[in-house]
Amino acid sequence: MDSMFANLALGFSVALTLKNIALCFAGCFVGTLIGVLPGVGPIATIAMLLPITFGLDPTGALIMLAGIYYGAQYGGSTTAILVNLPGEATSVVTTLDGHQMAKQGRAGVALGIAAIGSFFAGCVATLLIAALGLPLTRLAQLFGPAEYFSLMVMGLVFAVVLARGSILKAICMILLGLMLAQVGTDLETGQERMTLGLISLSDGIDFAVLAMGIFGFAEIIRNLENPETRDVVRNTIGRLLPGKEDFRQAYKPILRGTFIGSILGILPGNGAVLGPFAAYTVEKRLAKDPSRFGRGAIEGVAGPESANNAGAQTAFIPLLTLGIPPNAVMALMVGAMTIHGIIPGPQVMTRNPELFWGMVASMWVGNLMLVIINLPLVGIWVKLLKVPYRMMFPAILIFCCIGIYSINNSTSDVLFTAFFGLLGYVVLKLGFEPAPMLLGFVLGKLMEEKLRQSLILSRGSFMTFLDRPVSAVLLVIAIAMLVLALLPSIRKSRDEVFTE
Amino acid sequence: MKRIVLAATAVLGLSLVSAQAQTYPTKPITMIVPFAAGGPTDIIARIAGEHMSRTLGQQIVIENVAGAGGTTGITRASQATADGYTIMMGHMGTHGAAPALYPNLKYDPAKDFEPIGLAAGTPILIVAKKTIPAKDLKEFNAWLKTNGDKANQAHAGIGAVSHMTGIFYNSLIGVKTTFVPYTGTGPALNDLVSGQVDYMTDQIVNVVEQIKGGAIKAYAIATAERSPALPDVPTAKEQGMPEFEVSAWNAIFAPKNTPKDVVAKLAGALDKALDDENTRKRLLDLGGIIPDKAGRTPEALQKLVVSEVARWTPVLKAAMAATK
Amino acid sequence: MSDNHNTVGRTGLGIRAPQDFAAGLFLVVVALFAIWQASDLPLGSLRAMGPGMLPRAVAVMVGLGGVGLMIFSFFEDGAALERFHWRGPFFILGGIILFALTIRTAGLIVAGPLAMFFGSIGSDEFRWKESIVFSVGLTAVCIVLFKFALGLPIPIIAFM
Repeated sequence: MDSMFANLALGFSVALTLKNIALCFAGCFVGTLIGVLPGVGPIATIAMLLPITFGLDPTGALIMLAGIYYGAQYGGSTTAILVNLPGEATSVVTTLDGHQMAKQGRAGVALGIAAIGSFFAGCVATLLIAALGLPLTRLAQLFGPAEYFSLMVMGLVFAVVLARGSILKAICMILLGLMLAQVGTDLETGQERMTLGLISLSDGIDFAVLAMGIFGFAEIIRNLENPETRDVVRNTIGRLLPGKEDFRQAYKPILRGTFIGSILGILPGNGAVLGPFAAYTVEKRLAKDPSRFGRGAIEGVAGPESANNAGAQTAFIPLLTLGIPPNAVMALMVGAMTIHGIIPGPQVMTRNPELFWGMVASMWVGNLMLVIINLPLVGIWVKLLKVPYRMMFPAILIFCCIGIYSINNSTSDVLFTAFFGLLGYVVLKLGFEPAPMLLGFVLGKLMEEKLRQSLILSRGSFMTFLDRPVSAVLLVIAIAMLVLALLPSIRKSRDEVFTE
Repeated sequence: MKRIVLAATAVLGLSLVSAQAQTYPTKPITMIVPFAAGGPTDIIARIAGEHMSRTLGQQIVIENVAGAGGTTGITRASQATADGYTIMMGHMGTHGAAPALYPNLKYDPAKDFEPIGLAAGTPILIVAKKTIPAKDLKEFNAWLKTNGDKANQAHAGIGAVSHMTGIFYNSLIGVKTTFVPYTGTGPALNDLVSGQVDYMTDQIVNVVEQIKGGAIKAYAIATAERSPALPDVPTAKEQGMPEFEVSAWNAIFAPKNTPKDVVAKLAGALDKALDDENTRKRLLDLGGIIPDKAGRTPEALQKLVVSEVARWTPVLKAAMAATK
Repeated sequence: MSDNHNTVGRTGLGIRAPQDFAAGLFLVVVALFAIWQASDLPLGSLRAMGPGMLPRAVAVMVGLGGVGLMIFSFFEDGAALERFHWRGPFFILGGIILFALTIRTAGLIVAGPLAMFFGSIGSDEFRWKESIVFSVGLTAVCIVLFKFALGLPIPIIAFM
């Protein structure tokens, strides 16, 4: 414990120099501004801004990059709330209630609670990294492909619980997402699957392409059809920041979200992506009136956003302690560190303690910056909603097009986004929810990889999922949750039968 | 406009061509990197490109066009206007293994490019989980032979460096193991550290820290000499396996028919970059191998491409046929 | 009970949840397409799964889900099918497609205003003068932001 405080003190002595504070601020600020552009998620933002850091010393550069990362992450949540566009997989859940709150004129409250929840989660996660980084890494090592597969199964059960309407329809959407995830080159044999012979599909469908299509463009088309819904957004602006009542409702979800997000963020192989979904599911389960969810419940923003930020932070643990990037953003951070001559790994902590602890301390500073930057910006974002929709949607359209194009500098990605826009529109018209589809898609890729790895390693025996204790426990929890989710609807339809 | 200028130069003859080359470059140059930002090839392209920009007096802009093992980006770059304003960073996969892995490949690595020069390579290592009893490469080879397909070998996807070099290594010692595919080096390495899989072959930059930290074992490095980044890891040659010499090389190419003097200018800029103290240091820190003066020329690169295609095609074709 | 009679009368087929019926039909069509696409992929065995095993398994499940929705739509009342409009989808998606077609051949200077102007027509509040000014202005902002501030390799003027 003593060494932890000594280390943190060392870290703060590095992070709190005027230069590093300025770099942290600049990173958060630029990251927020770029990340808030619809269509530009954290990965694109970091890739774009990476060259800016070339001229700096390694510590300063990493502090600035980490700032860009938090900024972009938070910027992604901002677009999720304001225009229903998730910047990456972890902000998909925020669209569910966050955008509904915006439609009810509570955009400021949603943004405010997201910032405050994120700050709290960031503080806790920073302490966690400092205190328990190494032991937690060992815990994560318990997760092999089989455990991972079972965790993903649990994640899919969360998706069922997410659904607002018919459970059967939600399951269908998850399956559709799983199906889309299988487009592309087969992992094991290199054969192309369901690519319609198109080269641009050989690496599968990009998350941003799918999300932008079925969320962003489909939402624009739907808004154009129903002038009433968008006028609500334009005309009423409630209070700008969360009030006492909001805090009373939100503080428990923030605590729970932080806990869930921190744990899942440590898992290798992008466990952080499950955090917000799990937090949302927990909140919906615990709520006295679950029907409020999906209609602008503040808990549905507070929990997932805290989990999102906690996970974003603890995802640094495997990177810093093992040198293994758990997701695409962290892989990019590895690249950035390598460019600065630092190869992340178990040695960084002992060989470059100033850098390591400076970065950990700067995480906390970065989170503070986010609040300082974003609370005043909330007013500006909310005012943006007053721009007439006939001007707003072409702007979203062009930013999305440029954002999608810049991911791979590919025009076919833009065309696919248009196609998914059409798919999203049809799916909405048929009364489906796009969120479970996106989760199915995200988990689908991981799930197939882990399922096949497990079966290769067990030489074809499914018992591997039950023989391994961690995996077995996860599966049991998944089944129990599914039963809990299905029971009320079975009872409900029976009630309906009886009333007839 | 570009096309008109080119047509005019063709009509007016050489004098104008050299006049154009004297002024080249007059605008930023795009270097297509066929992998995502942050990967080893991208990092080498950025480090080399930064110094080359200074020599050329124009910015080299990196454009990442990822997909299909790098062949998407190289296909696009090979079809760009051959005026020296679009160049590319190819590597062992796109200009060595691709003809064997992608039957519908739209380019011929040996014929459709003007080679500019080799930039840097990264050595390949044989790494295994801590609990494998073998003490050196000889014992490890024997361990593999006794275990055969009971041994689990990880790789980072079809056509990835770890996949290609893994097949090559197995073919040298004549074993058939069970391949466990991952979608990238990160997850594969994670399962190697936690002991879910037994071994893999990969680039030094991906595994150097885990080896130093004792999380995994390294049996051999596949270079002629030991790497300064890992002086304790013996080469395969030292351990009686000189055939296993392979590095993931990265090299700059221009589309076919790029004017000769433009190629010379670019090759000169690359040469200067690789002589620069700071650039060298950054590449060496990555564990990279910097080619000597003779190895940097366009001619040397052309020879390398031809020999690499000849080396990989039979090995990979045999392995691919076996999985079908 | 009278409500039910109305629904039956409206569709004439005894379908009580037209939206669900259409949704089920949609899924069945998608599933059949996927099964056809995946039909030439080797299935493999559970021991060594081939590339075709999971795609076909998932596609079959999607299809079954669709069939389920269709069957239930005969027994439980549900929402009516919403009207499909063509103006929004046509102009919004058309604008995106125009962007994709022109960004590499003509550059952002053409693709930007073109995509935004065409997309704007999708709104029934479309005002053409305002839209031209706005789309040209915002394109200029995008050029400054993405090309000069962020240095992205986006073609600005490609036809010269």
